[in-house]
Amino acid sequence: MGLRKRRQTPSAPAPHHAHAIELHGVQRRYGRGRTAVHALRGIDLALPHGSFTAVMGPSGCGKSTFLQCAAGLDRPTAGTVKLGGTEITGMSENKLTALRRARLGFVFQSFNLLPSLTVEQNVLLPMRLAGARPDRHRAHEVLAEVGLGDQARRRPGELSGGQQQRVAIARALVTRPDVVFADEPTGALDTNTAAEVLTLLRQAVDTLGATVVMVTHDPVAASYADRVLFLADGAIADRLLRSPAHEIAERMTRLTARTPALAGARSAEGAR
Amino acid sequence: MRPLTNGLARAAVRFKPSAFAGTFVALAMAAAIVSACGILLETGLRASVPPQRYASAPVVIAADQRVHYVIGHGDGRSDESEQVPDRARLGASLVATAARTPGAAAAAPDVTFPLRTAHGALTGHGWGSAPFTGVALASGAAPREDEAVLSPGAARAAGTGVGGRITVTAPDGRHTFRVSGVTRKAGGADGDGLTAWFTDRRAGVLSGHPTTVDAVLVRPGTGIGADRLAGHLERTVKGAAHSPRVHTGGGRGAIEEPSLANAKEMLIALGGSFGGIATAVAVFTTAGTVALSVGQRGREMALLRAIGATPRQIRRSVAAEALLVAPLAGAVGLLPGCALARWWFGQLEEKGAIPGPVELAISWIPLLVAVGAGLLTSLLAGLMAARRPARIPPGRALGEAAVERLRPGVIRTVLGVAALVGGIIMTGIAASASGDDAANAALGVVMLFMLAVALLGPVIARLCAWLIGLPLRAGPAPAHLASANSRANARRLASAITPIVLAMAFASTLVFMHTSEDHAGARQRRAGIVADQVISAPEGLPSGTAARAASVRGVAASVGLLRTGVLVPVGSGDGRWLRTASAQGVSGSGRDLAAVQDLDVRKGRLDALGPGRVAVDGLLAKAAHARVGHRLALHLPDGTTISPTVVAIYGRGLGIAELTLPRTALSGHVTSSFDSDVLVRDAQGADRKAVAAALGRRLGEDVTDRDGYAAAQDEERKLNAWANTVMAGVLGGFAAVAAVNTLVMTVLDRRRELGMLRLIGSTRRQVLGMVRWEALLVATAGIGLGTAIALATLVPMMRGLTGEDPYVPPLTYAGFAGTAVALGLAATALPARAALRRTTPKP
Repeated sequence: MGLRKRRQTPSAPAPHHAHAIELHGVQRRYGRGRTAVHALRGIDLALPHGSFTAVMGPSGCGKSTFLQCAAGLDRPTAGTVKLGGTEITGMSENKLTALRRARLGFVFQSFNLLPSLTVEQNVLLPMRLAGARPDRHRAHEVLAEVGLGDQARRRPGELSGGQQQRVAIARALVTRPDVVFADEPTGALDTNTAAEVLTLLRQAVDTLGATVVMVTHDPVAASYADRVLFLADGAIADRLLRSPAHEIAERMTRLTARTPALAGARSAEGAR
Repeated sequence: MRPLTNGLARAAVRFKPSAFAGTFVALAMAAAIVSACGILLETGLRASVPPQRYASAPVVIAADQRVHYVIGHGDGRSDESEQVPDRARLGASLVATAARTPGAAAAAPDVTFPLRTAHGALTGHGWGSAPFTGVALASGAAPREDEAVLSPGAARAAGTGVGGRITVTAPDGRHTFRVSGVTRKAGGADGDGLTAWFTDRRAGVLSGHPTTVDAVLVRPGTGIGADRLAGHLERTVKGAAHSPRVHTGGGRGAIEEPSLANAKEMLIALGGSFGGIATAVAVFTTAGTVALSVGQRGREMALLRAIGATPRQIRRSVAAEALLVAPLAGAVGLLPGCALARWWFGQLEEKGAIPGPVELAISWIPLLVAVGAGLLTSLLAGLMAARRPARIPPGRALGEAAVERLRPGVIRTVLGVAALVGGIIMTGIAASASGDDAANAALGVVMLFMLAVALLGPVIARLCAWLIGLPLRAGPAPAHLASANSRANARRLASAITPIVLAMAFASTLVFMHTSEDHAGARQRRAGIVADQVISAPEGLPSGTAARAASVRGVAASVGLLRTGVLVPVGSGDGRWLRTASAQGVSGSGRDLAAVQDLDVRKGRLDALGPGRVAVDGLLAKAAHARVGHRLALHLPDGTTISPTVVAIYGRGLGIAELTLPRTALSGHVTSSFDSDVLVRDAQGADRKAVAAALGRRLGEDVTDRDGYAAAQDEERKLNAWANTVMAGVLGGFAAVAAVNTLVMTVLDRRRELGMLRLIGSTRRQVLGMVRWEALLVATAGIGLGTAIALATLVPMMRGLTGEDPYVPPLTYAGFAGTAVALGLAATALPARAALRRTTPKP
């Protein structure tokens, strides 16, 4: 049904479908009745291939929920999600997992790596989970791209926060995914390391043709993106195409001041 | 796919083996308990004793030592049987019948009975059995009337030889015999012992049962095998009185050693019933520990799911972990298990519950079962615990890993309520059990309540946290935090509370069951024995002692007591069974008895006691449906059935005896018809000390006051009490170690949380204080619940057994509770200190 298992191809094939990610009327509600919390109130979105999108918004606006629904990590209460033309909303866990393995990459804010495996083993994990032979050459290649080629045998506990994050990106990129989802990847990093990480993500888009969706609250990080989506109260409130950081910050401030969001934000936060 | 999940599991175990230490310990202990009980069970099933005295008698005919009865009818019929309390015997006429059987060369009766001499106890036999038991004369001749042959040891002890004289005391009085011969020191059982042989006729009289014999020993003629002769004999004695059975080969050992059957039953009960419960407890606690361990790695599993592990791969990884840890842990636990079995067996042998020749049998079966049980438990528990995190979308799993799910599943709640109801019902049933069945029923009740506690765990834990947290909430910050933590993390709390509840419930139930019985019995004895003097001797008193005591000046009444056990049918319908009850045969009339014992007669009159009559304890009467004026069928110590009329029902049966009969009803049906005690009541105004001195002079025996009666108490009750204590120790100890294990695991898992508390400004002391308050909360909840379960079990049971409420010695209870608290504090404080060891906390 259109589940293409990625083999070792030197360059990304031409996309068969117009959009990398499509969301139609996606809603996510926690709880029931009067105490229900609506984290997403109907998102409609279509992101083209080879784009870098940043999702911003005040705390509790549903950013992480949006990411999880878009990536298939959570099931929306209503609406459909399509990745590369394949509808994932109704898929079984097994099929969804296989899809994630082959065509998606993830970077979380923290706790990205298994502490019991070495850096190299962590990077190769998605391939091994798929049952494919681990390609150590590929692992070293992608580790070199993130600048950690000599740390392959270390364990995550021996690396700094920034280095761990770079290993996570390497793992996200090792299968040459269609889409990379990143949840606040630079949240815990200093400015220099953050810049390195964001450059890597940008390179993945420019060189490999990957699609990157990044949730962040940092305007500087968002300035690397092709477009910025602003979420508030579970819906897309505003968009901005490629802009410098101060413009993004200004739009952000306007958004926060405009919405009576802080009351809503607290209740939405309680759901997560 | 398989190599990957194995690799993940191996990496996880190798990287941080301490994470699996908790599971390892639990599995090792479970293996220890299961293997110990399994070894005892197998030993019981295989136990046998080779014939010693009967080794030279190819065929032995003995009575069936079990009383048979049938319960139910039609398809539900089942044949049950119960071991006779003493020894079933054959009619003496069977000897002639056996001798006449074609193929038999000769047949002789065999009797064994105790005698007393000035130098100690002596065992008596008839000389007719000598050629069949490997006994031969070294000097002198076979005994004639008024003569005896002695073993070398007996002759030496009495300081006499062939031609000399020996005085023995039999139940019917003192006799002097001329020593006609001394036997050769043979390798058999009689070789070194103190034994004497008399003529068969005299032996019958001295034994107290002249018309019955212990066994008939038969030798086949030349050319006939023992088995063929046995076949002939079976046909000849078929249908004779006392259900004779013919034995050859190894079966003769069981006849010779009647305590073997009891020993086997006890070992099988220990290994089987108690073993079953101990296994259930072990499996249950181990499953909890494994589930906790898997649950603590929820975040890792969510991460794996997010980057592409299928639910099946997650489950396989958990299974692989189990396969790695369980066999090793099981193997490690086998050594202490064997040691435990060996120690237990040795203790039982020392206390005389197991005959000497029986050996502990350690084979591979219980060991394999133990390791296999551990493997299966950890596999199933791990898979069940991993089911939810493996299945649900990873986003939810990541969220849930931080905060607990609020409500337990529907199935779990329903099962928990069912277990609770089952426990209450079972309590009612257990209230009517008694003796060792009471112990098993009690454990069953505790198990059901424990199951309810485990299934409804989080709900109960939250309730306890709320209740006990009330005073804490008003306290200083650490206490307040402790209360909030406990309320929020009900599952974690439940997994910590459950083993403490287990330990308290089991230990309390088992130990206080017998302290209650002892206490009630002691109270009844103190109130019931109103005699002024008690005469007793370790080997027993001859039957004329009471009469001779009565002739001393100043004595108003004197009664001899022959104490033994009888079988009484109790219960009704399909729940009928035969119960052993204590009985006293009294010399003298009911009025004499009333002078020395106040049995608290409730119905009927004691002075109606006489031949064909019986007086019964109230609780036994209720169980056996006995009423004054009606007959009560019962089995005497040798299995003979009688139906005396009930003349009185009294209240102090537990402390004194559950049935009171005239001595004549019992004396021909026991192996040793010596009196156990003689109770003496002085006349009005007599000087107690003078009478005591006079009695001592006249009888030449030990004379004590009424406290002396208590000393010669039920050996079996003492053994039961000791067995209960050991069982309590094993179960309680296991649960205590499990509790410590769980507490350490939960504290170590909270390292980040504790570190964070330091970051936001708590001092080390405050954090440790919080941990201490939490431990106290856990311990209090555990002790409270455990005590409640124990009481719920003990109160109805003790009311049924003793008619009173349970007696809990305050020191013992304080000891249990104190240990629980101390363990809880230690098990949390030490790991918390270790977790906080960094002086500057790291985020």
